[in-house]
Amino acid sequence: MIEEINELVKEGLLKEVGTIKPNRELYEFSHERIREIFKQLLERLGEKGFYLATIVGTDILKDKKIRLDYYVVVLPEETTIVLRTYVDRDNPEINSILDLIPAALAPECEIHDLLGVVFKGNPALRRPFFVPEELVEKGIYPLRKDARV
Amino acid sequence: MQGCRAVAIDKVIEVPYALEIPVGPQHPALHEPILLKAYADGEEVVKVEVHTGYNHRGIEKLAEKNSFYRDIFIVSRVCGICNGVHANCFVRAVEQILGIEPSPRAKYLRVLAMELERMHSHMLINAVMAEIIGFDSLFMNIMRDREYIMKSKEIVTGNRVSADYMIFGGVRRDLSSDKIDKLRKLIDRVIPRIKYYKKLFMEDETILKRLVDVGVVKPSEATLYGLLGPVARASGVKIDARASDKYDAYGEIPFNVIVRNECDAWARMMVRWDEALESAKIIKYVLDHLPQDGKAVPDERRLPRRFPPGEAYTRVEAPRGELIYYVMSDGKPMPYRVKIRTPSVHNILNTAKFYIGYSIADLPVILTSWDPCISCMERLTIIDLRTGERRKVPMKELAGGGKKWVNPRYSL
Repeated sequence: MIEEINELVKEGLLKEVGTIKPNRELYEFSHERIREIFKQLLERLGEKGFYLATIVGTDILKDKKIRLDYYVVVLPEETTIVLRTYVDRDNPEINSILDLIPAALAPECEIHDLLGVVFKGNPALRRPFFVPEELVEKGIYPLRKDARV
Repeated sequence: MQGCRAVAIDKVIEVPYALEIPVGPQHPALHEPILLKAYADGEEVVKVEVHTGYNHRGIEKLAEKNSFYRDIFIVSRVCGICNGVHANCFVRAVEQILGIEPSPRAKYLRVLAMELERMHSHMLINAVMAEIIGFDSLFMNIMRDREYIMKSKEIVTGNRVSADYMIFGGVRRDLSSDKIDKLRKLIDRVIPRIKYYKKLFMEDETILKRLVDVGVVKPSEATLYGLLGPVARASGVKIDARASDKYDAYGEIPFNVIVRNECDAWARMMVRWDEALESAKIIKYVLDHLPQDGKAVPDERRLPRRFPPGEAYTRVEAPRGELIYYVMSDGKPMPYRVKIRTPSVHNILNTAKFYIGYSIADLPVILTSWDPCISCMERLTIIDLRTGERRKVPMKELAGGGKKWVNPRYSL
């Protein structure tokens, strides 16, 4: 376990919940604290100490939630850790971390376009980003489980 | 007020690169059209916008609608040039969920196929770079020698490009000893050629003039912007999923992670040459040490038909950088979620900043140095703001420009 992440767990920002195969440590956090967590990561690990690999958005239809997994690769050992949070499916909003970590541009724009999550404070969000215009006009978010495309 | 001088800009250059990239899901990786809108003040690029969405094929959604077995072939079609790594990453994610492991021989064969892919991909982008800077004969020479690698890949997988080589629990074709001898001969023929091209990139004045100190990415920027693969390694960031995750047989094979500290377009191309040589070494090691135990090709009738619930997140070092698959199964024959993150999505979308301050003629060089697999970035529109006149210039002529001698037809 990485020491800096361990400190964040002790401070209550993250909660350890298990692993994703193969051996990726999984932590949960409340979505209001996203900016606080990444500020702490930047402070403790440094700009060169980690990179944001991707954000995976998944529509969990039965819980009426959208799950966001932030995959962070901690250098120099390249240990991948997963920071997981949930947002409400009917009102999916979370703060953007684009100004802290520019690497969030591609995944945030993509998730906004495909799942409809609003990253507050990201000026680059736009539709259509990837999906065709006719889907945008109909207000369809293709990766939602109830979307028929 | 100081700093607020009125600057008269009456001409804007808009560069729509129609870069044809066929990927997939959400990612412009290869041969899908993408538009880079560059705004230039004189020769200097002041702003670049990346526009996407021309060829979104919805592969992630498609994968959710098809069975795990069909998905192997669907994800291979995400990207033409690195179909093996895509299939490998997906197959390994599902193997994690299933809890099965391929035989050592299959693992070595997977490495063999993926390293051949890395070699021809790196040769391709270096050839394209030669073409972009106007060195067409070098482009043709590299492409000719690349054919040896394509032939090798055909010997191993049965096809030059789209291999469909991976299957849960192994690979789909074994390698006989006479084929191994053929492969050795082909690789031995390519290695001196790559060394020669590397020397050329180090010594040729035209190449150095166009590439050195162009598109500089500082190490801290490489991590902040999430740049991957040879782009990050050329900026001194030592990341390589092969070395850190040790997937398949990479844990047993000795190889070096190539890192350079020059941070410019030239360093990125040099990293690719060195990696191609390193791949050749890995291939020779695999051919010498191919394990005899275990069946490489699993019996397809006995492969599992039920997939337990679970999730897996696998990384693989594709030619362009870290490729990621996240696969979630809820116990049904079809995956609940497949997320694909190709390296190009970061290397293209997040790099708009790094064009700023360079000349228009450097733009194709910088774009090529990300290895975005350019096929048809062919047009440039010049708009004269005074007359509203628009004219189109082919990308190649633009690239031939250079800082010092610009064709008077296209100079402002």
